[in-house]
Amino acid sequence: MWVKQLDATQGVEGLKSLPGTPDLIFIFGETEGLKNSTLPGELAKSFPDSIQLGCSTGTIIDHVKLSDEGLSIIAVGFEHTRIALHVHPLPDIAHSHETGAELGKLLAAPDLAGSFILSEGLGVNGSALVQGLQSILGNDAVISGGLAGDGARFEQTLVTVNGKPVSKVTAALGFYGDAISITHGSAGGWDEFGPKRRVTKSEGSVLFELDGKPALDLYESYLGEEAADLPASGLLYPLKIWNESNPQDQFVRTILAVDRDAKSITLAGDIPDGWNARLMRGSFDHLVDGASEAAQHAHDDLNAKGMQAELCLFVSCVGRRLLMGQSTEDEVEAVADIIGHGTPIIGYYSYGEIAPHNVSKVCGLHNQTVTLTLFAEAA
Amino acid sequence: MTEKQDLPPLLARQVGKATLPDGSLDAQKLLGLVSSVYEANERDRRRTDHANELMAQELEDALTAIELQNMRFKAALDNMTQGVCLFDKAARMAVCNRRFQEIYGLEDADCKSGNNLMALLLASNALKQADEMERRLLMNEHLELDQGASAALEQEWPDGRHITIHRNRIPDGGFLDTIADVTENRKASAQIAHLARHDALTDLPNRLLLRERMQEVVRNALRDERCAIMCLDLDRFKMVNDTLGHPVGDALLVAVSERITSLVRSNDVVARLGGDEFAIIQQHVRKQSEPARLARRIIAELSKPYVIEGHKVQIGTSIGIEIVNVSDLNPDEALRNADLALYEAKAQGRGTYCVYSSEMHDSATKRRELETDLRDALAQGQFVVHYQPQLDIRENTINGFEALVRWEHPVRGTVSPVDFIPVCEEMGLIDELGKFVMQRACTDAKQWPEHISIAVNLSPLQFRSGNLPDIVKGAIALSGIPANRLELEITESVMLEDVASVLEQLRAIKRLGCQVSLDDFGTGYSSLSYIRHFPFDRIKIDQSFVKDLGDNPDSLAIIRAVAGLCGSLGIKSTAEGVETLDQLDILTREHCDSAQGYLFSKPVPLEQVHALIYPDDPPKQAKPADKAA
Repeated sequence: MWVKQLDATQGVEGLKSLPGTPDLIFIFGETEGLKNSTLPGELAKSFPDSIQLGCSTGTIIDHVKLSDEGLSIIAVGFEHTRIALHVHPLPDIAHSHETGAELGKLLAAPDLAGSFILSEGLGVNGSALVQGLQSILGNDAVISGGLAGDGARFEQTLVTVNGKPVSKVTAALGFYGDAISITHGSAGGWDEFGPKRRVTKSEGSVLFELDGKPALDLYESYLGEEAADLPASGLLYPLKIWNESNPQDQFVRTILAVDRDAKSITLAGDIPDGWNARLMRGSFDHLVDGASEAAQHAHDDLNAKGMQAELCLFVSCVGRRLLMGQSTEDEVEAVADIIGHGTPIIGYYSYGEIAPHNVSKVCGLHNQTVTLTLFAEAA
Repeated sequence: MTEKQDLPPLLARQVGKATLPDGSLDAQKLLGLVSSVYEANERDRRRTDHANELMAQELEDALTAIELQNMRFKAALDNMTQGVCLFDKAARMAVCNRRFQEIYGLEDADCKSGNNLMALLLASNALKQADEMERRLLMNEHLELDQGASAALEQEWPDGRHITIHRNRIPDGGFLDTIADVTENRKASAQIAHLARHDALTDLPNRLLLRERMQEVVRNALRDERCAIMCLDLDRFKMVNDTLGHPVGDALLVAVSERITSLVRSNDVVARLGGDEFAIIQQHVRKQSEPARLARRIIAELSKPYVIEGHKVQIGTSIGIEIVNVSDLNPDEALRNADLALYEAKAQGRGTYCVYSSEMHDSATKRRELETDLRDALAQGQFVVHYQPQLDIRENTINGFEALVRWEHPVRGTVSPVDFIPVCEEMGLIDELGKFVMQRACTDAKQWPEHISIAVNLSPLQFRSGNLPDIVKGAIALSGIPANRLELEITESVMLEDVASVLEQLRAIKRLGCQVSLDDFGTGYSSLSYIRHFPFDRIKIDQSFVKDLGDNPDSLAIIRAVAGLCGSLGIKSTAEGVETLDQLDILTREHCDSAQGYLFSKPVPLEQVHALIYPDDPPKQAKPADKAA
């Protein structure tokens, strides 16, 4: 397996230094840049047999550097691993489960080692999408990935497939064979604060009331003058939710949209009626600690198989980026410190992360986390 | 200038971003980057301050809400009728309510949270009233109350209160004791239990408790021990009730129960079975004469006058006695036998007692069978009416018939009215039977010549319903005979009933045009006042006087006096039971109007009547033997 990070500013010139024809090219870019750039199309033309997959974002991760503009590109060549890409339309949020299930059917094979999902980031219920995949592949299926992002704008998200940026789709990349090892780590590092609350009215991923009062009112009062920047500013206060009867499985939910007339907020995943909820806030140090925890988990799992990471896909939440500002790079540095500065890192800031839980190993949608997928291929 | 690698990472990154391609530093860009970090930090500080402020407010609101809720809980707890006390898993009191303090008599200072149950019980003023041993016992019972999911206990405290203690485990490992004062409930239950087994008026045991006491006697029986079961019935009680009213009747029953109770031994049982019926269990009967002696004393005592609400009241009692071996005592059977003996005592003229014997049972059985047969008799047409002619002595012709009912039973044969009329009267069948006889007689008489009257006997009981005149009217209407052909015979005993009502009905019958005669004259009170009070059409001289004619001069004197009286008052006289021509001669001499008896004919069925009326009519000629009878 070989991995080569490309400098997008050099255009197709950079391709000359590749050790061979890549099997897979990951490409992430700021939404407008991705839409307008000719580079993905040129890459597809240059490597018609390569699979090219990526998505839009507000901030790209190019090894340990972050940037709010340009593209981040990495080329990968496998020796023993077969890969396959499937794309399925996701016309609206109600089709999330169905799209997941259809992709699950396309991915399914006895030697499926893992899959990486990139999806439309706004018109989607990430929880339902993952459940759809699991309905076919089983609860212990190895799935990771994320929802496409659009920075603080929340206007449009894209998935780029073989050089073409498209909206309202979900793409699934399958890795097949014994040679490939894929491990994951996911952690937030957010701090809970304020009283425990109860979800008293919700429907799917739409939260209407907490403790009998409009959820939007609570957010507006905590955000003060920053409430004008909703839904982006809502990312400063994620919501931890858990079922009273099963307190071990906790989820962090983040805001995707608000409806000021209904005084409701739409979250990136389900928020069941009757569950407990508590506001969270981030301190830079603890968020960086969260990134380290995720890296340590993925790194230890791979080490346990006697492998060293050859590629790190880094999906982190846009909320972390909004809060930490220029200090956000600290979390990428922290990850590199653990997996080794020699391991190439590529990724983006998302509207939702997909990965197995660190403890239960059951895959789910996460918010406000750093979610890492490490790859290594046996020689 | 400091080397880039010595700078803090953030500043090093900022310097990197502000370094131009030629290696020089863009100071303006660097300042912008640094300043935006300051701004971001300031923004974050403001956010934190704002969030802390809101959180403090939220927490304060929550505290206020909790305080309000606590206040409400306390108000609810303190207003509960039960005492509650909550203990934590270390069995230390967490909270108790006011009622708990009241029940146990605890001062506020005793109820500090953290105290254990033992300390609370030791401080209880209510438990202090018990002696040391009882107090220990009560405390230990509570302290050792089962620690399972739930347990319950009821105690009677030294001050007489009944207290229930319920213990329920709660999820945190502690427990909740609920204390209730159930004294009133227990009193009410005891009262209900007492009422269920006692007569409300006299407070004597009722039938249920009497039966239980009898079963107790059986359970505690000694070998060969005997007891007596007595049934009492008050004589003339109904009259007291009817004339002086129920309050006096009730007071009389209380007085009676007191008198009976004063005569029995403490282990004997006196019960009121209802109305004026009482029963007694006399225990440890050694001699047969003991129950009889007690019965005599009761009869004597109850017959003494009572003064109730200013009224002097005198009643009597009849007693039936069953004496049995206690080991053989069957409550139902014993009461039934005593009742049969009572029936016998009443039959013997009241004011006396009678000891049960097996013959009573036999006669009771026969009586029951008779009653069953009688009920069927009417429906099955077993009653027939026979007719005995009455002779006009002066004209020597039949001027009327007396209707006499006969019961022709397929097995018993022909039963005499003497044997079944009293039973019908007691069973309440007499109205129906009387109506049947009257209608039959009138209908049959319709076939006879107009001058021949038909006499029908009336039982005193037929006057009780008050609608006898209607029945008479109905019989006349149905048969179509003129009312003056119907003659109704009553005896003096009719006047022992409600005289006013009887006279009113008799006058109504007279107004219909019927004749009324006084039957069996001379056998009862023979009060001439009856004759004065009611204009009888005929007096029938009892056959006992006729039978003695020739032997007993008094009988002749009586017949002469009655016939003379009737002659003076314009009332017809009839002599009954005329069997010889000598008797007829005497009656003719004494100016008796008519005669009836076997000399002329015994009572005959309808089909033989024609021959009596028309002796010369060959096809319907009666046999000489019939006539001679």
